[in-house]
Order: sequence, then C-alpha cells, then structure tokens
Amino acid sequence: MVTAQRISHVQLQYSHTIGRGEQFGPGFTYPIHMARGEDDLMYVLCRSSEYRPEGTRITVCTVDEEYVNAFARGVPQQGPHEYNFEDGSLVWPVNVAISSNGTVYVSDEWLHRISMFTRDGEYIGKWQESVGSAEGQLDRPSGLAIDADDNVWVVDGNNHRIQKFTPDGQFLSKIGSYGTGDGEFDTPWGIDIDNQGNIFIADWRNDRIQKFSADGRFLMKFGSSGSGDGEFNRPADVAVDRDGIIYVADWLNDRLQIFDPDGNFCGEKTGDATVSKWGKDKLDANPEMWGERERAPGLEREKDFWAPTGVAVDDMNRVFVCEGPRNRIQVYRKQSPMFMGPRL
Amino acid sequence: MAEQDIALMAHLMRRAGFGASYEELEARAAQGYEATVEELLNPETQPALQDDILMRYQPQWVSKAGLEGQQEEWTYRMINTKRPLEEKIALFWHHIFCTGHAKCEYPKQQNIELDMFRTLGFGNFEELLMGLSMDPAMVFYLDNCMSHKDAINENWGRELLELFSLGVGMDGNANYSEDDVKEAARAFTGWTVTNSVPRYPYGKYEAAFIYDPSDHDYTDKTFLGETGNWNGEDIVKIVARQPAAARFVARHMYNFFVADEPQVPAWQNTPPRDPEAIKMLEDEYFRSNYDIRSMLRVLFNADFFKNARFEKVKSPTETVVSTMRLVGDFDLPKPGLNAMTLTIRYMGQDLLNPPTVEGWHTGREWIDSGTLVERINFTADAVGDTSHRGVQAIINRLGSEGDTISSERLVDGCLQLLGHYELAEVTRNELVALASSEGELRTGTDEFGQRVGQMLQSIVATTEYLFE
Repeated sequence: MVTAQRISHVQLQYSHTIGRGEQFGPGFTYPIHMARGEDDLMYVLCRSSEYRPEGTRITVCTVDEEYVNAFARGVPQQGPHEYNFEDGSLVWPVNVAISSNGTVYVSDEWLHRISMFTRDGEYIGKWQESVGSAEGQLDRPSGLAIDADDNVWVVDGNNHRIQKFTPDGQFLSKIGSYGTGDGEFDTPWGIDIDNQGNIFIADWRNDRIQKFSADGRFLMKFGSSGSGDGEFNRPADVAVDRDGIIYVADWLNDRLQIFDPDGNFCGEKTGDATVSKWGKDKLDANPEMWGERERAPGLEREKDFWAPTGVAVDDMNRVFVCEGPRNRIQVYRKQSPMFMGPRL
Repeated sequence: MAEQDIALMAHLMRRAGFGASYEELEARAAQGYEATVEELLNPETQPALQDDILMRYQPQWVSKAGLEGQQEEWTYRMINTKRPLEEKIALFWHHIFCTGHAKCEYPKQQNIELDMFRTLGFGNFEELLMGLSMDPAMVFYLDNCMSHKDAINENWGRELLELFSLGVGMDGNANYSEDDVKEAARAFTGWTVTNSVPRYPYGKYEAAFIYDPSDHDYTDKTFLGETGNWNGEDIVKIVARQPAAARFVARHMYNFFVADEPQVPAWQNTPPRDPEAIKMLEDEYFRSNYDIRSMLRVLFNADFFKNARFEKVKSPTETVVSTMRLVGDFDLPKPGLNAMTLTIRYMGQDLLNPPTVEGWHTGREWIDSGTLVERINFTADAVGDTSHRGVQAIINRLGSEGDTISSERLVDGCLQLLGHYELAEVTRNELVALASSEGELRTGTDEFGQRVGQMLQSIVATTEYLFE
C-alpha cells in the first residue's frame, strides 16, 4: 500500500544578492522580471521609467554576477504624444521568457506587443501592436511562459484571460474571462508552467493563484486578500520548481510566499539581502559610503524585500526574487525537502 | 438648472479643486452648493484612487526615487482624484511650507510630507505645525539637524516664524524680534533626524524624526514675551495662539483660494485687499480652535468668495491640471505623463522644487513672455485636439442644439461649457467676428468639430483665460 506523503518545511537558504542601481552596464534599473538562460545566464528585464528611458533594457549577467551585455532599449520621448516605437524598442516592458532554442520573448504593456530577440540580443520580430479583445489580440499583455512544445502563453491582462500562441505568434487557444469565479480573472499578471504542463496564474486583483491543466481546465485555486499566511496583497508573479513547490511574489505585502503542490502555505521570506558584488564595487569607488553605512541606523532594513514583482526558479532549485525599487535580485537555494510519512 | 448656479459651481470647483466638466458641474449644482462644499471639505467620503493600478503601470511610483516621478505622480493624482480639495490643500500647504528636491536626502520624504498635508492640512493649525516640526524632510531642509545646544542653527526657528506661522509683521508692526528667532532655535535643539543610509548600492531609506534629549538646551528662554524652559512644542503652542498666526493663515487662504494678494514680504505694511474677509477668517481661526476645515467652510460659503470670480491668476499647476481634467486626458496611466508634467515646470512652477523656502510668488508674477507662450501653447494644443473625450463632449453638446448655430452661440456656448468663462465685450466681439468670417456653422459635420476646437483655442489664448 502506498501512503500519501506530504512535503513539509520547505527550506530556502539565502544565497546572495545581485544588482545595484545603474542606467548602463553592470546593474539594473527597476528589474521587474527575469528569466534564466543557458550557461548560468540571467536575462533581467529593467523597466526603468519614462524619464530615464535609457535605463529600460534587458541586462544579461551570470548568476555569479558577471556582466555580459544589454539589449533592447527604451524609447526616448519626442514630445507629449510623439514616440518612435521602432522595432525592438520597449516602453512598458513587463515580462521575459526564453524558449528551448534560446529565443527571448518580451511583453510590453503599452505597445500591446511581444518582441522576440535571439539569446545574444538580436531583434527577430514581434506580434501584435494594436489593442483588441478578439482571439489573438492583446490588451496590456504581461506574464509570459513557454511550454514544453515551445508554445507561448501570454497573460492578457486587461482582457482578463490567458492566451496560447505558437512560437511565432499564431493564436491557439485561450482561458478565462473577467470575474471572481473559478477560471475567471481580474487583471492577471504573472504565469508559470510546471514540469507536468500545468499552468499557474497570479490572479492579481483577485489576490489568488489559479492552476489549470495544459488543456485549460481549472484545477485549483488558493489565496485570498490580506497579509496573513497564505493571503495576498496583489500577487504579481508565480513560479513552480521541479518538485512542484510554488513561490509567489506577494507584491504589496513585500514578501515571497511558499506553498506546497496542493497550495498549502509552507512559509515566507521577507528578504535577506546583502551587499552584492556590483554593490561592493560601487561602495569601494565611493569609500565614504562605507562609513555612512556604519553610522546609519536601521541598516538592517536593507535586507527586506520591497514590492517584489518577479520570481523565477531554475533546475538547480535556485529561487530568484526581483525587487524593482531596490534594483536587485535576491537569490535563494532550496534545501532538500523533508518528507513526513513512512521511510521511502 | 439655472445657469447662474452652474456658474457659481464652476467657480467653486476651480478654486476648491481643479475645475470640472460641464456635466459634473450640472450634477453638483443639482446636489447643491453647500452640500458640495461639505463633500469637498470631507474628502474621505469619496473613493481614493486605486494605487495598485497606478503602481502596476507606473512602477517607479513605488520607490518615488526621483523628482520627475514624484511630480508625475502628484500631477496624475490632481487630475484624477475624486477628492479635489484633498490635493488642493496639499498644494496650498506646499506653497507655504516649502521643502525642495534640491535639498532633500530622499525624494520619498517629500511624498510623506504631502501625505501629512492631505491629512493634517485640514485640521488644527497647531498640530500641523507640530507635524511640520517633526517632518524629516523639513528638519533636513532647514538644517535643524545641524542645530545643537552649544551651537544653534537659526534657520528653522527663523522660517517657522517668518514664513510658516506669523510673517514678519502686520498692521505696520513686527510680529517677532531677532531674539525670538534665537530663542525658538534654542527650544528646538535636539529635534533631529536619523542618519541617512547612502544611496549606493540599493537606494535610500526613509529617515525618522528623533528627539535627542542630550542635545537639547534646557535653559530658560523668553519667546514672544513669555519666559520658561521651553521646548519645541511650547514654541508651537505660543505661536499658534498669536493674532499674527490667524492673520497669516487667513491671508494665505485668501490669496490661494479667493483673490491675488500682494506677496508675503509686503504683508507687514500692506493691508489686506479685503480686511472684512480676513477678519471673518481670523475670527473663525480662534472660534474653532485653529481649525483649518472650519476656516475653509466659512471661506467657501462667504459672499466675498462667491463674488471673487476671475480674480486670481491660475498657477502653472492649476493651468495644466484643470486643462487635463477638462479635456479628459491622462485619465488612465499612459506614456507622455512626464512631458505633460514638465510643462508645469516650463510655466514657472517646478513642483516639489521651489526656488527658495519662500516658495513661489503668485498672481501676476506667474506670467512673463516665456511662461505666457508656454501656457497658451499647452492649453491651445489640448483643447484643439478634438479626439479628447472632454472636447468631444463640448462639440456634441453644441451640436445637439440644432442643424446650425450662430456665431454668437458658438462663442457663448464654448465659454459656457468651459465653465462659464467671461470675456471683455471687445474680446467677445472679435471672436464672434472670427466665427462669422468662416461662414455658416452646420452641426453634425466634421468641420463643425474643427471649428469648435478652433474657438476653444481662441478662448484659451485670451487674457481672461489666464484667470480663474
């Protein structure tokens, strides 16, 4: 007889912090989301702001914080309503995903388009651009996820649905509509796909996570509004590791929440940041700031997450949490879970 | 609905808010003037903006890390708030209790200050001064963190009296002496802020006000004729009960909400423009135990306010925000907000970054040859864009009056729907002649919309439209 086993006490061990605030080169400008690539590379999507469009870009670096390059740029404004939205440019980029062949997909909530780049940053193409609600059209697309067939799942935020596309943007299917019922959404944001092909959605304004089968069938939901265990204040992103553990970037609660595969609360992290390598370089170049840090009360606040908008996991059980306002990514490593039940 | 009621409502909404569409004016006039005043004075009765939506699409507003982002956010709030007087009162106190980005450790600190104005700004003046005395942005801006028991820095003590509560003088007399400045500074020793976390590598953190008893001067002080071992709270209490404090608040209110006054440095020797109005407000200050909301209630319901139409030059902020509310642009987050917000700076008001601690000189000093061009270009561009929802509403409303309308009606209708603006007869006649010169006005045509847009552009380019 096989006894059901329950995963308990997921242990996340803080590893290190990556980043510092920079408009160019090593560093980030409001890193809103990231994706892990091959060779330990990270593709970090920097949202920046309208008044610093040069900071809008994808910064490529390693998990060990070696800077590689940056590509795709924000759009300098020509006038109050004048832009040059040339191919490859970004206005309100919000999510990034990488397919098996290394194609980098980026969603843009203002341009209502998905841009594609090679793993080296060469522009390949785009989908959409005109807002709409018909099948295949987008209205403020946000979360992106790639399934095992390299199809692209797009969270269609203002249409309150999820759409599935071929790798080159041909519409395949859709899930959901506006509402609070099972399979309905209110301005969803993040998405992830587990190794079974199940779809997880951060149902942002409904303060919950929903899970669907690969063919779009509602499977489960968890979470409600609040700040207690298992409650959310606008969950921005969700990620699922190879063991089925679910991580949620609980945006306005300034924390990462952790759930077992059934959606049971397992724990939370509120941040453990330390000075990054790039940060140390910056401080070494401004040595008076080391002294200022010593004199500043409340430096322990530096550990805390602030409005995390992105969470990603990789095959090495590393968890990455993007904190835009702090221009950094905190990295955790999951320890082997403890199993409650008979000996295996 | 009587047009005179709508015209009065338009006046109220321009002053207690940032203007309103004609449709909103009609609805508010039906609700009643006094009921609208009460709603404005109690902003918590109206829904707040949905901050989660704003921060999702403008994520830099979470961190409030730069001046531009702060200006964008505040401007957006002023355009879209359902609580217009809440933002107007914040702007009012920002005009008086200036802190500036140029000397600010962490821009978010100014945002926290604005939140204080939105809440304490309606309440007891003494409590507001206490909030200001403990506001980290202000403590840093006016160097009270550099004032020590053995070496005072007079900056805060001086500006508290000169620019924040009493003014240099009134009725030809000084309100305080140099000794009072020094004694106030001594009383505020020990009122400081925590050291700042340096900006690298992860940005700033909020500072906190702290009182350091070991750095406070405990010796007796004589302040405004009263002697004791005063601390900062005592100074604020003494200040708030001065007749000069009532005069100071009343004149500022009159200048901001009613009609342009001479500028603050002239107040010692220049009597108020309307002494009876100032007296009413001073009396209410003491009757209500220094309650700002009560003073505003008296002000908005007074004949001196109702009769003071177009007696005040719009500030750059009022110009831009009221124009956006009128045309219905930027009612959702979108790119272009930064450029739109920058026009306020180009018109002479760099929000959250005033030229000095004295803030901005108002009234006709807003206008010079450069800022005038900025104003007219901005407003004309906005009202001439017939794709804007608010402009469409004006076109549709005029277009519903018949198959054709007269040139006179085009001019008068546009003035009416802009909020019952009034033009000098010679100006109106020129606009009527301009409309007539272009032939019959047939509604329901594309040309009609264009001609309405052109007429709106002509009106906002007049001298009269500079006023509210």
